[in-house]
Amino acid sequence: MDELPQQTDWRRWLEDHAPKFLLFARQQARSEADAQDLVQEAVVEAARRRADGLPPPSALVFATIRRRAIDLARCEDRRAGRESAAADPTPVDWFDTSVEDRERNQLIQDAMSRLPEMYREVVTLKVWGGLTFAEIAETLGIPANTAASRYRYGLIELRKLTREVLA
Amino acid sequence: MIERDDELFEAELRKLTPAPPPPELMARLAAALPQPATLSPQPPWWLLLRWLAPVAAGAALVAALLFWWSTAPDRQPHVKPVTASLKTAPKADEIEIDRQLVALFDAVAQLPNGQPVRFRCREWADEVVLRDPARGIVIERRTPRLEVVPIRFETY
Repeated sequence: MDELPQQTDWRRWLEDHAPKFLLFARQQARSEADAQDLVQEAVVEAARRRADGLPPPSALVFATIRRRAIDLARCEDRRAGRESAAADPTPVDWFDTSVEDRERNQLIQDAMSRLPEMYREVVTLKVWGGLTFAEIAETLGIPANTAASRYRYGLIELRKLTREVLA
Repeated sequence: MIERDDELFEAELRKLTPAPPPPELMARLAAALPQPATLSPQPPWWLLLRWLAPVAAGAALVAALLFWWSTAPDRQPHVKPVTASLKTAPKADEIEIDRQLVALFDAVAQLPNGQPVRFRCREWADEVVLRDPARGIVIERRTPRLEVVPIRFETY
């Protein structure tokens, strides 16, 4: 379930949730700049949709990121900018490289990037987003059973891609 | 065995933590969010009160206006002042009505068929004087009045 703070501490909420929002956005967008814009726009939009002033549920922010990413991909006038940004050779680390094994983190990132999108987004939302299958289903607009099966197949595919390191 | 491996693999994945956003993005997020005052947690009764307060204030204002309207001295029923005025009204025992001729002149106009018409104009000043010697009240009113009488030449 989503962990909503009882007291409105937005700074703490951002520190806790922004990393996973950005991770999901980086997988949805084609450039780092677009990913950061997606996070900002989604957080602000989700916050404004909450009339009670409390931080929005994570599932709502994830869903907003995904919807805006789709809109962004459909936007023809942004295509040139995306393509030029996608050609940017500067790598972006999806995971915190200050802890554990940097090489292993990079391997999982590479494997995640090669994972089909329908599996990757479910695995990301489940493992690092902390959502339930019901929330994932609501976020992606799919049945909960489909979300669960995609998660299972996604893990299998990801294990194949990382077998030589994590086996 | 396979499920056990899946659990271990999932646990390995969970060890990874998403990279923290760059400080610039955190600053942008903090700046883009609504002001803290509007984001403070508010209980449902406060949300209800926020809507009811203006309505209650308006109702109180209307009630206050109605109360003032009904209790204002000049809004009292006219029965009592009229009664009082009857008791204290001056007696119109001495009333003088006079009229004074101020000016007299003739004016000539012409009808559409060319026939001339004379108008005799008189300017009067009608004066009414009311006195109440017992109270020493004298009320005078002087009203100008213009009297115009058409006179056809053929009548002469």
